[in-house]
Amino acid sequence: MTVKAKPSRRSWTEVVTGSPLLWLLPLVVILVATFVYPIIEIIRLSFTDAGLTGSDYSYTLGSYRRLLGSPYFFDMLKATVIFVAVSVVFQMFLGFLIALVVDQGARRGMRASVVTRTAVLSAWAIPGVIIGIIWGILYQESAGGVLNYLVGLTGFGSIPFLSDPAAALASVTFANIWRGTAFSMILVYAGIQTLPADVLEAARVDGASAFQRLTRIVLPLLAPILLINLVIVSIDTFNTFDMVLALTGGGPGRSTEVVALSIYNQIFQQFHLGQGAATAVLLLLINTVMTIIYLRLDREEVA
Amino acid sequence: MGQVSAEKLTRIGLYAAYTVIIVFFLFPLFWVLSMSLKSVPQLFETPPVWFPFPPQFSNYTYVLTNTPIVRYLFNSALIVLLTVFFALLVATLAAYGFSRFTFRYKKPSLMAVLVFQMISPVVISIPLYRLFANFHLLNNYASVILVYVAVVLPFITWFLKGYFDTIPYQVDEAAIVDGATRWQVLVRILLPICAPGIATAAILASVLSWSQFVIPFILLDNRTMFPVSVGLVNLQSNSDTITTHYLSAASIIAIAPVIAVFVLLQRYIVSALTSGAIKG
Repeated sequence: MTVKAKPSRRSWTEVVTGSPLLWLLPLVVILVATFVYPIIEIIRLSFTDAGLTGSDYSYTLGSYRRLLGSPYFFDMLKATVIFVAVSVVFQMFLGFLIALVVDQGARRGMRASVVTRTAVLSAWAIPGVIIGIIWGILYQESAGGVLNYLVGLTGFGSIPFLSDPAAALASVTFANIWRGTAFSMILVYAGIQTLPADVLEAARVDGASAFQRLTRIVLPLLAPILLINLVIVSIDTFNTFDMVLALTGGGPGRSTEVVALSIYNQIFQQFHLGQGAATAVLLLLINTVMTIIYLRLDREEVA
Repeated sequence: MGQVSAEKLTRIGLYAAYTVIIVFFLFPLFWVLSMSLKSVPQLFETPPVWFPFPPQFSNYTYVLTNTPIVRYLFNSALIVLLTVFFALLVATLAAYGFSRFTFRYKKPSLMAVLVFQMISPVVISIPLYRLFANFHLLNNYASVILVYVAVVLPFITWFLKGYFDTIPYQVDEAAIVDGATRWQVLVRILLPICAPGIATAAILASVLSWSQFVIPFILLDNRTMFPVSVGLVNLQSNSDTITTHYLSAASIIAIAPVIAVFVLLQRYIVSALTSGAIKG
């Protein structure tokens, strides 16, 4: 074959057991610099009275004491929990329904199913801040506010979509559901493609109704994917920042200040670095707990 | 006969469902497009003007000439291109390492990479802001792009690792036994086979980076350097200089590239998202 001197033949096992270090090194360096270091640093900062810049500070528990003592803290938690819980429930439910409907059409070769899928996905692809701006235009309360016009047609009075605290939280959550449904849809749609066709067909032949097939076969088989979906969507929603910032900035008052936005506002608007860092540690804890649950689920699914 | 009409009913039901879903998801975009083509009096008319006539394309000319949006689009394109290039470079090397080596703690290392995907960018941006401020690295594309790369890396690495895994080891083995180095195997054999996967990873990294907001918002404060996401929020907050029809036109300009990419390439995007989702 080749004329030039051949290096000594290495056996395959010899090669695979070589060190992957050089290949992984760039990834490791970047992840350590931009994730591991900041995570350690934010935990450290939460125990100091440091300012945003400068290097004079001392260690204290004051940030946590002030944060927990703040009347806004529990409002923030409440807003976050409502925002996340309602978003996740509706995103998963709508995503599931749309995935079923799109799948049924795709099996019949209906081109409208692809159009539908694309429409849902385009909402997901738009940058979050622009979604916030778009919904801000829809929710306008002055003349020209199209949603209030549509509500008016049904005979209700106008709704203070963004000026009333409770309505604003509902409005932000609604816009977030619009944005996030696509992700659940895609996960469930992918899950449906993996279902064993013969089992479903056998059930149909044996006379199981569509509803029975859904609840007795499809749902149990999809359960692992739905659980993973639940965790990922929850993490994403806890981390939501851009859409809310553009839509309400956290207002009116602080009624839509969800946790990620609260971190930003405390640090860059009120210049309370320590308190903001303490809130960031809280979000980090939430992220960590959810991730552990996710990894557990993932392992069970693999096993 | 009964079979046929049941099938017909199902189809009608499906079309009805599609109509509702499409209207729900496209109405906001339709409305903003409609607003962007209105004259000022039309903005406030009740009942609303759905199809403004004649369409005011001059709103777009105004936005393109009187706001820095072209600059923002250019900045976004630059950041996205560089991010995709470096992310693919690093992720390809790492994916090769994870796919083609067996080593201790391989599984935990892969899991660790995935964990970073779950961390809120707000949390990491704050210490990075302090760090960059101390080293005069704020308003610096190199440092900002490094963070962009880091944020897309976990997903892209996992995706490419999964793609490499579908290529049998025997391909590498044959070449290595013949004296090729690992580098040659990767560049001359694996990359050409994996071109579709790499293209998909590039598309996903582009969409993710185009949408990125928190990182440039916190790490850039020089207005001429803003990507389009941050630039638009900046325009919106100066609402005395920009009214709804101009803001709508600016939004349409900002999302047009993403929507175009999405509609053209959605087949690949869907398959990438689903393969990533199923594997974890």
